[in-house]
Amino acid sequence: MISNQIALVRRELWEHRSIFVTPIAIGTVVTLGVLTMLMFASGFAAELDVAIFGAQNLAGDAERKMALTVFFLGTSWIFIVALAFLTVFYSLDSLYAERKDKSILFWRSLPVTDAETVISKLLTAVFVLPAITALGIFATHLLNLIVTSIWVSMKGGDASVLIWGSISLFDNWMTALIVLVASGIWMSPFIGWFLFVSTWSKRMPILMAFMPPIVIALGEGIVFRSRIFLTTVAERGDMTPLFKAGNLEEFFEEDNWHQGVSNLTLLDKIDLAGFFTSPALWGGLLVCGLFVSGAIYVRRYRDES
Amino acid sequence: MTSLVSAQGVSKRFGNFTAVNNVSFEIESGKILGLIGPNGAGKTTLLKALLGLTDCEGSLSVMGLDPFKQRKELMQNICFIADVAVLPRWIKVSQLLDYVEAIHPNFSRARADELLRQTKVRTTSKVKELSKGMVTQLHLSIIMAIDAKLLVLDEPTLGLDILFRKDFYANLLNDYFDEDRTILVTTHQVEEIENLLTDIMFINDGKLLLNAPMDSLGDTYVEIAASGEAAQKARGLGPIAETEMFGKSIMLFEGISREHLEGLGDLRTPSVADLFVAKVKRARQ
Repeated sequence: MISNQIALVRRELWEHRSIFVTPIAIGTVVTLGVLTMLMFASGFAAELDVAIFGAQNLAGDAERKMALTVFFLGTSWIFIVALAFLTVFYSLDSLYAERKDKSILFWRSLPVTDAETVISKLLTAVFVLPAITALGIFATHLLNLIVTSIWVSMKGGDASVLIWGSISLFDNWMTALIVLVASGIWMSPFIGWFLFVSTWSKRMPILMAFMPPIVIALGEGIVFRSRIFLTTVAERGDMTPLFKAGNLEEFFEEDNWHQGVSNLTLLDKIDLAGFFTSPALWGGLLVCGLFVSGAIYVRRYRDES
Repeated sequence: MTSLVSAQGVSKRFGNFTAVNNVSFEIESGKILGLIGPNGAGKTTLLKALLGLTDCEGSLSVMGLDPFKQRKELMQNICFIADVAVLPRWIKVSQLLDYVEAIHPNFSRARADELLRQTKVRTTSKVKELSKGMVTQLHLSIIMAIDAKLLVLDEPTLGLDILFRKDFYANLLNDYFDEDRTILVTTHQVEEIENLLTDIMFINDGKLLLNAPMDSLGDTYVEIAASGEAAQKARGLGPIAETEMFGKSIMLFEGISREHLEGLGDLRTPSVADLFVAKVKRARQ
């Protein structure tokens, strides 16, 4: 069972190369952007303190920490946005492409159940995509810290203090990893829906994925004059249960940053116990389970000829 | 001989349409069975039921397993080529072999590599870079490297040229088939496989028209080419089909012994294709 899952997930990575290409592309663009800023910033260093976040001419420790933290959060955010798109397109394609090219007949000629296949796609979307995104974030951070360190050293600064001493890699990376994996689990009802649409839709799964929710929301608005469905779906986009109420607002309060907060980290704002005991999380997993069961049923019972 | 497949009253309906209609048969191991039928006769539906790809009514057992409920276990001992184009186009040959090796307990990587070395298929190529013939060779190499009891081939050589078709069946017979294995094949090019078959089944409109060993056909069916008065006499014995060729009447008889026809014209065992046409036309009358 587990060895089958490993083989199946590996197959997903072979088929959907965008899972790798996207983080590499983002990492490359970010690094090129930083390099460009470093080059242009050398002439007017004082003005572009974000670009030269390691330089000695920054006002002080607090600003430098802030600049590095903003850089870390900003790049992570780009990756997370890309992950959202990647997850939608991957999930919608994963069970549709095999029917379109008729390779489903080959896959089903091997000793793998429909449930194993669908679950491998769910695991890829919920865990593997976020894990690879996390690796992309770590590599990008590391690469840019190294590039900036070289730049700072060339300017006569001590990179070990100014750069590496100003940011906690562990805190930032653990935060990124937890947020990414938690977001996969939190968003699993959407992923389940996309997988169901992927196996059920005859054509244009992206349209089939978004039309029914829009129709339901509009229908509810017109008939019942309410927006419960829309609100429920929209609120799911919020990672509230992972952070205690008010924690995020407190973190992003700019005054705190300027006052030289000793450790700018989101890690201690995370409430894992609250997340895993949230009824909304388990309700979402139940919805995901229903959609995934539906996807398995359709793949098993529908005649593809 | 043990029964590998046992079907009793198997039917499959799609709404009002009955694709397979109350079919019963047994397939013993060590046979090469040809399943012949016109388009839409129910061949593929029947194969799908055997392979557990679709559910059906009636009782169906393949190697003692319920194909639909125990498809995973069944697939460890069954291989099938449903169509030449089903290998995923995006995959590399090496990845395909890695995948099958990882999930199939009866797959021999060494055997697949050995078979592929005899072809022009390179393991670094992607399936989409291969010609149709090479894709079939690749698929067949994978299938032949699996130690399976039953091989199901649904139009395996469709769209291939005659050289590939001949090689395909030669490889199958020489490198794969033995008395422990059973092959079930459907094809339109029946004359090409006629000599390979040990048994034959005709299906039309979801019903079995014939299910017999090849070597028994000569006992049951006889074809005569006669003319004039002899033809008239032969006609009186009730042929199941009659055509005209070169001024002679070619008549096909079922269940009439050769002694009755002796002296009326040239006798021979009909070809599978002629027999098939006769049986289907008769069924449609």
